[in-house]
Amino acid sequence: MTARNLAQPFPVVTPDTDAMDAAQAMAGRHWPGLIVCNDDGRPYTILPGSEVLRFLIPTYVQDDPVLARALGEEASDELCRKLVHRTVRDLLAKPQDLDDLPVVDADATSLEVAAVMAHMHSPLVAVVDEHDGNRVIGAITVNRLLDHLLPPHPAQA
Amino acid sequence: MIEVLVVAVFVAAYVLIATERIHRVAAALSGAAAMVLLGVVDARVAFFSEKTGVDWNVIFLLLGMMVIVSVLKQTGVFEYVAIWAAKRTRGRPFATMVMFVVITAVASALLDNVTTVLLIAPVTLLVCDRLSLPPVPFLIAEALASNIGGTATLIGDPPNIIIASRAGLTFNDFAANLAPIVIVLIVVFIGLCRVLFRSAFTYDPERVAALMALDEREVIKDRPLLLRSAIVLVAVMIGFVAHSALHIEPSMVALLGAGALVALSRLDPPEFLEEVEWPTLVFFMGLFIMVGALVEVGVIGRLGGLLTAAVGDRYLLASSVLLGGSALLSGIVDNIPYVATMTPLVQTMVDAGHATALWWALALGADLGGNATAVGASANVVVIGIAARAGHPITFWQFTKYGSVVAAVTIAVRRLYLFLRYYAFG
Repeated sequence: MTARNLAQPFPVVTPDTDAMDAAQAMAGRHWPGLIVCNDDGRPYTILPGSEVLRFLIPTYVQDDPVLARALGEEASDELCRKLVHRTVRDLLAKPQDLDDLPVVDADATSLEVAAVMAHMHSPLVAVVDEHDGNRVIGAITVNRLLDHLLPPHPAQA
Repeated sequence: MIEVLVVAVFVAAYVLIATERIHRVAAALSGAAAMVLLGVVDARVAFFSEKTGVDWNVIFLLLGMMVIVSVLKQTGVFEYVAIWAAKRTRGRPFATMVMFVVITAVASALLDNVTTVLLIAPVTLLVCDRLSLPPVPFLIAEALASNIGGTATLIGDPPNIIIASRAGLTFNDFAANLAPIVIVLIVVFIGLCRVLFRSAFTYDPERVAALMALDEREVIKDRPLLLRSAIVLVAVMIGFVAHSALHIEPSMVALLGAGALVALSRLDPPEFLEEVEWPTLVFFMGLFIMVGALVEVGVIGRLGGLLTAAVGDRYLLASSVLLGGSALLSGIVDNIPYVATMTPLVQTMVDAGHATALWWALALGADLGGNATAVGASANVVVIGIAARAGHPITFWQFTKYGSVVAAVTIAVRRLYLFLRYYAFG
């Protein structure tokens, strides 16, 4: 099966999308990440959920996770307010070259998709059509790929 | 001819270490390898000579303390103490800074400086975040305090470990000769902080609740481990204090303590070896072999003789020059290779009749000189890195502006201490 067949319609955001809207969309619909496209519809980067967390969690807590215990659950509201008046661009670590992105061509095989996903440590791969100016035609999540690659569970068979 | 070649190799390696053109471990090992190829050093000299070989007491004391720190770090005790102390100040900025300075200085006297700032810096950022205080002055103050506090004991700073091993000085010698002046220096430093960082002390009563909401008890992850670690740490400290009476080297005390903690903690090797800086230990080995080669060919002996003759019986002058020179050089280059090179030189002068005050001048100058610039000590570099990652960059000159003032004032205090203690009333 090719990436074109595996790809599912996937919403895209731009670097100027409101950060809170993007994060809430990701959380509400259980997406592992978001595809960020330029205005011309070509992929700019992938925003995985972990990158949103990296923005929200102060570096001192990332350095010393035990401090999260001192902060307690009530601090989470305060941390999430960091997304207010921010854009997706603020959440991104740095602009990436297209070659460095978890992006595959529509003709890629499922194993090629798996290789890109594993190599890039990405839960999401954008599928582009090289014959249409590298426009995004959808995305493949790790769940979708594993569902295709793994044999059916005995209980489901 | 061989002497010229040995000196050339040594200088070349030293330049590479100082300029960081290649990694300092590679530079030290290349220098050591060159000494072997020149035929000055063989296995007997490198591994078994007490005077010119690798000083295993230094290597294993460092290794033992690194293992002890690895286990202690797992307990969360450092975070607990820092948050507890900050809450006692009820969010008053200067009092908070004083607390952190004292905690850092005391911890640095017992642990290595880099580990101390790595532990205190995240808590500092947390507390400053809660209080809406600028963290940069606090972080700079902690780096400076760690360099001052580490001077107090034999185990506080690697140069002290080298000096103690080469000079045969005990833990109590360091505590008796350096701890008193370090206490004075910390008091002076706190006064300087009040002036240097005055613009950072803006008190916001509305932010105090955010600080007081922190629950320090939650950071203690493993109470039984904390208790066992505390017992072993106390035993290790008693071992250090009594090591000369017990006829046991500090390195053995540290290794026994590390072994006990490993056995009692039941941690996995990656956890109890987490803080072991293997590159640093290998760097020391290469350094010892290079300096040993200088001693083997007689360069150090002749240089020491020239220095002794030049100084004559002007012991105070010798101490003052050693103090000032060490402080100046340690502000520019790594103080570990500097002290490793200087110890045999100072030993020559002490053997020729100079007072042991020279050892204290060397330790005070080398340990505290690192405060002068942003790159003068490892703790400074680490703090600058942490601040940058947290979005609070500290420039070279920003650090150096404060560090040079602190270094200059503390040098004056140290000079006075050396004069009063060892020459006026000694």
